[in-house]
Amino acid sequence: MLGFLILVALLVPLFAPYSVVQAWNDPSAWTNNPKLAAPEWSEIFAGKKLPRTILLPYNGETGGFTKARVVVDEAGQTYVTVVLRSSFSFQADAFPSEIALYMTTVFGNQSGTQIRMFWDRPDGEEINLFDATPTVRAPFENTFSLTTPAIKGDPAYSVYANIRNWLIRKNITTQTEWDQLYPSRGGIYDSPPKAEVLLMAQLNHNMLDPYSAQVLKGTYAFRIEFQGFARTDDANARAVIYGRVYGIAGTDGSRRDLLVALLWGAPVALAFGLAGALASVLIQTILGAISGWYGGVIDEFLQRAADFYLIIPTLPILILLGILYRPSIYGILFVLVIFGLVGATTKVVRSIVLSVKEEQFIEAAKSYGASRGRILFRYILPRVMPYTFALIALNVPAFIFLEASLSFLGLGDPQLPTWGHIIGDAYSNDALFASRAFPSGLWWWVSFPAAGIIFTTVAFALLGYAFDKVLNPRLREQ
Amino acid sequence: MPVLDVRNLVLWYRTRKGPVHAVDDISFALEPGQTIALVGESGSGKTSTANAILRLLPKNVSRFEGEVRFDGQDVMEYDDETFRKTVRWRGISMVFQGAMNALNPTIRVGAQVAEPLMVHYDVDREEAADQAVEALRKVGLSADIVRRYPHELSGGMKQRVIIAMSLILKPKVVILDEPTSALDVMTQTNIINLLKDLKNAEGLSYIFITHDLGLASELADLVGIVYAGQLVEVGPSEGVFVRPKHPYTGKLLASVPRLRSEEAPDFIPGAPPDLTDPPPGCRFHLRCPVSFEKCGWSAAEFVEQVRLLQIAEETKNKLPAIAEMTVKGDLNLLIKPQPNGTAADFAERLNSLIAGNKEVYRFLKSVESVHPRTKSVEVKLHEGTPPPLFGEEWKASCWLLAGGGA
Repeated sequence: MLGFLILVALLVPLFAPYSVVQAWNDPSAWTNNPKLAAPEWSEIFAGKKLPRTILLPYNGETGGFTKARVVVDEAGQTYVTVVLRSSFSFQADAFPSEIALYMTTVFGNQSGTQIRMFWDRPDGEEINLFDATPTVRAPFENTFSLTTPAIKGDPAYSVYANIRNWLIRKNITTQTEWDQLYPSRGGIYDSPPKAEVLLMAQLNHNMLDPYSAQVLKGTYAFRIEFQGFARTDDANARAVIYGRVYGIAGTDGSRRDLLVALLWGAPVALAFGLAGALASVLIQTILGAISGWYGGVIDEFLQRAADFYLIIPTLPILILLGILYRPSIYGILFVLVIFGLVGATTKVVRSIVLSVKEEQFIEAAKSYGASRGRILFRYILPRVMPYTFALIALNVPAFIFLEASLSFLGLGDPQLPTWGHIIGDAYSNDALFASRAFPSGLWWWVSFPAAGIIFTTVAFALLGYAFDKVLNPRLREQ
Repeated sequence: MPVLDVRNLVLWYRTRKGPVHAVDDISFALEPGQTIALVGESGSGKTSTANAILRLLPKNVSRFEGEVRFDGQDVMEYDDETFRKTVRWRGISMVFQGAMNALNPTIRVGAQVAEPLMVHYDVDREEAADQAVEALRKVGLSADIVRRYPHELSGGMKQRVIIAMSLILKPKVVILDEPTSALDVMTQTNIINLLKDLKNAEGLSYIFITHDLGLASELADLVGIVYAGQLVEVGPSEGVFVRPKHPYTGKLLASVPRLRSEEAPDFIPGAPPDLTDPPPGCRFHLRCPVSFEKCGWSAAEFVEQVRLLQIAEETKNKLPAIAEMTVKGDLNLLIKPQPNGTAADFAERLNSLIAGNKEVYRFLKSVESVHPRTKSVEVKLHEGTPPPLFGEEWKASCWLLAGGGA
């Protein structure tokens, strides 16, 4: 188990370089991923083919939009028309989660620059989804979400009205029924219709209920007309039809690939747990040995200090420091080691040293004149070391758990995607609650990082038990 | 000049019951090349004597004094650091009791043997290793064991390693604290022969601590018999073992079982005295078959012995009926007879009992006088003091030797 973990820790940088982790908190790095997508292999349990994400890239890239640009000069006025087209085949048994269109536009100061967007369905229907004025100039993108427009002012908000008009025209629904299904106040829907369903469902009355609508399989197409009034005006577009499944480990609420975080969690947890356990156990061992060996005032001081440290509630202090300073993972490690200078291990080691120091070879060492320091480091510490190794192995899970609980509380390293961090994110996004859309909750978001923590801690616990067997020969017999 | 001259060495340990007189005024001198065997029962203070010479003291020492002259210098005057640097191992080294445990289990044998060198001299690793191989060869071990750990060696090999370690700094005196106690007889013989050879080759002086009289007679020039923290007899081994002066030595020699002997080995009745409260006078008098009035019986001991007579099957009918015994000071006690007898009558019966049995029950010899009082009998005991060491050729502390008697 440990070998597997170490292998993962060593191979992760090859799979996902550190720059991927650095971009963890940058939403723009993850825009092409679906939100809250389950792992791809989960469709085995769903029993139907779930849609993957379909990317329709810019004109100029392979498989991208086709572009036709026409410039007409007429009566001193320049008219630039750009027509962008792209089509995709959709064969899944479920609707996509979102559809979004991204456009880069170049336009002058003259008003009237316009984008008209049409949606072509396999059944021959064409819907003019929206007409809009570009607001952002290249190289930045105008974002048009066709399914979850942000506000009413968003040009894409007219998607709803256009779909409604289309459906009324087709006698699928009536204005009255529409208003009953999707009540709105001042033009804002309380709960907007699911455009991705309406756009891609078979044209019948069932399509109004997202849970009984049937997918219309076939080839869909985007058609975008851009009208500009300056010679340099131009437009380009790309579209993403977001799926419902993604990768091996799914995605979280910010579209991030959880596999990256899961794999990076291993080296982070291993490094944190091992460094913390090594530092604190070794320091505690040496101080415990000094305490047992020198005795007297030093012993008294170290033992009372250990008592004091043992009653200090480390977690609340870490929470306090976390709130005040938002320390990095190194800061947390440092604080943990500082609060673990003396403690339970000091007491255990002291008691071992008290028995070791009565052994004859220690007396022999004294008699041939070895100094006290030499006896401590050459005679006593080597005797204590095997116990120390077991203690280190058994302490690693404690450190991993501590880091995970801090991250869970949102007080861990804000930059690093640790396992605890992911579980914390999942918890604050209600990942554990089942909804109609996610009947099993967002199980992948919680269970994989939790499994990672359990796997690692069990691995170290087993290592500790293995040490225990070596140290207690009586256990070996059974 | 003696290489080691121990004078009036005293080492007491502090306990809750009071000080333990582990070493109580021990003196002996050791000439270069000589071996002294300190022989005695367990708990008699042999190992404490060795520890006191090397100043390996536990924390609870309550009294530690006397002179230890090593090469003419009183090393008791040295402070701990000087003592550690100049005397320990460089002058006097030690082979520990229970060799099995005296080696550090985590260090290889070679490093272990070289350890005193590294501690005392600024030698580099390789030279220390060479010397360790040399030292191991001297004790009859091959060079390849330097890479081994102690648990890979047999008991005899470990003992040889310990001896090699004790010799590596070329000390003048080696204290052998029961060097063969955990070994089988054949290995014991081998080790003793090795020690003899080393002594002749290196001119060593040994302090050989043992309870095995056979081994002591094999190796020792001088023998010191230790009883209850004191040397009761010290002299040349051919003398002490052949014609023991002290009754304790005699009993000790008689207790050694012999092969193909019709005689059952003798034993010493009773147990060694409690060293927190050693008996007055001669410390052996309670168990001594020949003790008499000068040996220092106290009133409390007398009462204790009378009580023992009262319960013993063969004596309980001989004793006159006693109601109560009261100790009055160290040497006086009052015995109150049962109401059916008068004091004068009781005193007479007591006197006749003493006259008839004092050769068997030696404590009765300590009675100086019996005075009848009104309701009780006052018994006065002889005064006794600890015997000094008597003798010309060799010395023993027993009052029987005072007038050249016994």
